Amino acid sequence: MFMCKDVVENIMEYIDSELDLQTLKELEKHTGDCPECKAFVNTYKRMLEITGKLKDKPFVTPEVRNRLRVLLKSKIKPV
Amino acid sequence: METGFFKKLINVIVTKDDERLSDKSDVELVNLYTNKGDESAFDEIVTRYSDRVYGFALRITRNANDAEEVFQEVFLTLTKKLDTFRAESKFSSWLYRVTANASYMYLRSQKKHESNISLENYYPYDEKGTLMGKIMDKDWSSRPDITIFSKEALDIIDKSINELPESYRAVFHLRDIDGLSNEEVANILEISIPAVKSRLHRARLFLRDRLSDYFHEWRR
Ligand SMILES: [Zn+2]
Repeated sequence: MFMCKDVVENIMEYIDSELDLQTLKELEKHTGDCPECKAFVNTYKRMLEITGKLKDKPFVTPEVRNRLRVLLKSKIKPV
Repeated sequence: METGFFKKLINVIVTKDDERLSDKSDVELVNLYTNKGDESAFDEIVTRYSDRVYGFALRITRNANDAEEVFQEVFLTLTKKLDTFRAESKFSSWLYRVTANASYMYLRSQKKHESNISLENYYPYDEKGTLMGKIMDKDWSSRPDITIFSKEALDIIDKSINELPESYRAVFHLRDIDGLSNEEVANILEISIPAVKSRLHRARLFLRDRLSDYFHEWRR
């Protein structure tokens, strides 16, 4: 029998559309009947949307970049 | 009139030059630097990869000063060791690996100790294999985007990622933030693909829980 556990353990393949047809059908039937799993799948997807936004966060400030530039200049001296 | 003309001319020269370098592949840039000592090619590599190197170093070290030390170390290493790069592997993977190694080495040298929460047996279901009835109560998936993508929520998830054990953190960052494939991550961190998947799985379950708690408790 397909359980909540099986939804959880197959969620990555489900998101990546890598499930075989049989498992996919069972998973979707279960989430259709189980509000807990439906909520699990929906919040899981939303979480991935949020973490996807972290990609746009700029990391290197002009100061950091500049300090690197100075450092590299001082270390690479023509022989 | 005259200054206008010169400005245009300078623009043409500068843009042409920029286009040339930014159009080059990683391997072409590497060759330009290692074979011809072309420093502007090296500069282009720095520009292209700064955010990714710094972001990954920051993820592993969790501290801006430490991340900058690693960041500098990586590019300094590159000036000397770029010729050891072999084109059969992807340049970005190689650079991520250099960054991972530099970060771990740095952490060891600083004797910074790690959080030891264990995620090996982290899952939301009970021994019967059913979810415990807490997920639906805390369902936040239909909250408006303005709440879900708020700066506060992004900060919470960022902080929560940093609570993950080191190896989970690295996997999650490369896979879900920088968007690399399982194969690439396995290659960079020198672990198996099943290990990548299993760490990513536990990390995501942990983060989903953290977000649920946050939305449940603070943003009704
Ligand atoms: Zn269920």
